[in-house]
Amino acid sequence: MGQDARPNWDSPMQFVLACVSYAVGLGNVWRFPYLCQMHGGGGFLIPYLIMLFLEGVPLFYLELAIGQKMSLGSIGAWTAISPYLGGVGLASVVTSLYLCLYYNIINAWSFWYLFHSFQSVLPWAECPINSNRTGPTEECEKATPTQYFFYRETLNIAPSIEENGGIHGGQALCLLLAWVITYLFIVRGVKSTGKVVYFTATFPYAVLLIYLVRGITLHGAINGVKFMFTPNMEHLADPNTWINAATQIFFSLGLGFGSLIAFASYNHYNNNFERQAIVVSLINSGTSIFASIVTFSIYGFKATVNYESCLERTRVLLLNTFNIAEDNINIDNVFEWIEKLNTTYPEQFAKLNNKLEECDLETELSSAVEGAGLAFIVYSEAIKNMPLPQLWSVLYFLMLLMLGMGSMLGNVTAIITPLRDFKVMSHMSSELFNGLVCVFCLLLGLGFTTTSGNYWFTIFNDYGATFSLLFIVLIEVITVSYIYGLKRFEKDIEDMLGHRPNWYWKIMWSITSPLLLIFLFIIYIVKYINGGTPTYQAWNKELGTSVVTEYPVFGQLFIGLLLVSSISCVPLTALYVFCKKRKLGNHEKREHTVSTVSA
Amino acid sequence: MLYSQGEMLEKILLLFCLSSALAENLCRPDASNGYKVRLSIKRALGDEAYVWNQDEMFLFRATLAFAMRNHLSGQDFQVSNILVCDETPRVSFWFIVTSPLDATRPVGKEDVEEAIRKSRSRINSAFLLTDQTLEFIGIIPTLAAPVSPDTPPWLIVFGVVMGSVGAGIIVLLVYPVVHKRLKKDEEEEELEEEEGEEETRRVKTMENGAAGDGAHNLSFTDDERFTQM
Repeated sequence: MGQDARPNWDSPMQFVLACVSYAVGLGNVWRFPYLCQMHGGGGFLIPYLIMLFLEGVPLFYLELAIGQKMSLGSIGAWTAISPYLGGVGLASVVTSLYLCLYYNIINAWSFWYLFHSFQSVLPWAECPINSNRTGPTEECEKATPTQYFFYRETLNIAPSIEENGGIHGGQALCLLLAWVITYLFIVRGVKSTGKVVYFTATFPYAVLLIYLVRGITLHGAINGVKFMFTPNMEHLADPNTWINAATQIFFSLGLGFGSLIAFASYNHYNNNFERQAIVVSLINSGTSIFASIVTFSIYGFKATVNYESCLERTRVLLLNTFNIAEDNINIDNVFEWIEKLNTTYPEQFAKLNNKLEECDLETELSSAVEGAGLAFIVYSEAIKNMPLPQLWSVLYFLMLLMLGMGSMLGNVTAIITPLRDFKVMSHMSSELFNGLVCVFCLLLGLGFTTTSGNYWFTIFNDYGATFSLLFIVLIEVITVSYIYGLKRFEKDIEDMLGHRPNWYWKIMWSITSPLLLIFLFIIYIVKYINGGTPTYQAWNKELGTSVVTEYPVFGQLFIGLLLVSSISCVPLTALYVFCKKRKLGNHEKREHTVSTVSA
Repeated sequence: MLYSQGEMLEKILLLFCLSSALAENLCRPDASNGYKVRLSIKRALGDEAYVWNQDEMFLFRATLAFAMRNHLSGQDFQVSNILVCDETPRVSFWFIVTSPLDATRPVGKEDVEEAIRKSRSRINSAFLLTDQTLEFIGIIPTLAAPVSPDTPPWLIVFGVVMGSVGAGIIVLLVYPVVHKRLKKDEEEEELEEEEGEEETRRVKTMENGAAGDGAHNLSFTDDERFTQM
């Protein structure tokens, strides 16, 4: 055979921590708080928790059961369930490959910011001075220093996806480091991964706790927390709220990539994964809620700081225009003075009008951001205003790194495990094979470090995994419930756990989850068709802001290719297996006839 | 003597009044050769702010005269050459600089600007203020040049992290190979030792048999050896 016995986790705790480390990722920090804000604050928890029990936990349980029963990666496991549906596993591997390619870029950014935190003045706190030394650089002045640092110094972003420059050297180095560390974590398979997850799963919670304490004690933080938690029940009537809750649960748990199947395949046959599935799902959702409290206190602080600087600028403007003594106007009575001056000096005041800013705390608070923009722009803006910003910056980016690297462990394992099940690959030593996979992804990932790389990153982020995952998990749950048969599945689980799953699980697998997934699938298709040409946010240097731009033709073709390449694995594999079986069948028939003739 | 003393005195007085009137006309808001100054003392110093009064104004005029002297060396600017007007409670005012040689002629804007630029830090420190809190409207302060170290600090941290991770990987990869080789060597040694012991034992039994006891029958001991298997 040439292959040793399948390695196992050292203890069930390692498996649980690995799942937690994989599921709790950047999305918990930068997508859930945004959704909460967009859909009525505290009220969003209701659809979120309902969806957790309708689709989240059952689907998570399903994947763990398959992995543990088959003790194979996704390709092998699905081929064992139904030979025609091995394509589901292949689609998972392709999707995981796309994810691996672009996900480590985020870790590279985290490293970049982390390394730049070791300076006396954080580089995103102030604009760099232009060559004449008369003021800040023009681009930085139109935008904010944090935006300038992200778009110009970190990404060196091109004005559109069509223009390309060279590779950003610093980014490439950070990406190399990210892949080297990923290799270090997975070099021995579960033996090394199992030890690493003790740290990557627990460290983010320590940082979140520290940040919670720091965040709540910040000036103005309470505004943000109040804003978030005031439930706005009318959003519950909006179907978008429920759709977003369903998709968030779905993607947050990392279903469909094959990582859970891969992790579970290293379990002992009788491991009690039922309890573990519930625990991990609850921990994942709990972390989202916990992280959003932290995020909202940071939001509140940032909004209050911006509001107060707006008031200060207005105060100085009034003082300078009307030559009033300095301590007559202070922050509290700015608005009264505006009224007074408007009535006493109307013509002079009218001249001011275009310079006078509208200072409103509510507007500041409701400017919600998600994704990389939140993590790297909004958060760093808040950090630069804290006392001792270097410490907070280091802690924060270390936390982002742990969250990202933890998820990378699952992503890379999802590729390596099914491929190693093939006899061809198992002759190679695991260290060499893992190294090859890492080098391959590194080389392709270098494309994301070019000047237009961030736009390609957005394509992968928005289209690489979303639609295909829905399709994959839908096929998974229908296969298990109807093709493999719920009765057979129940028996397998009884074999492993000692008891059958109760009615809740059976109803969810056979009726609720498939219906929900079909519904979401249709909504996505409708949105794609109705959405018109897909667009992206291009950074405009002259305006110092992002501009909505349409993708060029090659961009749209690439999006189509991404979607088709992973989904088509399923029908193509089924066709291939069908053809092979028919050829085999014909061959046997011919042999049979030959033997009867000779007999 | 064409004029009497009284007439002389009158003429001198007239000239004096005229010149001072002219001087006052020179300094006015939006004067072509003047600059507006704005001080934000409370913003800069908070509780330690001093009150702006005529003594502080005198210091300002003296500092400015110093700046002019510094720039146009040779010309003896006096405090009276710095004319100030339009003071407001904001603490802002206009000033204009007249030439020491002719009190009616103002010094050009460019010269004044150059003089202030040169001695900006001295003027600031005389009032414990900064470029942002002591503003000369129209004269943009030259910002300090950015400090750029030879190796950017981030590269140093990167190097440290990359180095330690690389060392970690090498250790992880090399350790089991070394471990296996050591184990193999150990096993080989043990195997050799065991074989060696058996041989000495066999030799001993033979010797015992040969030396022996008279009671022992030599041929039997030989047989024993064979049947030991």
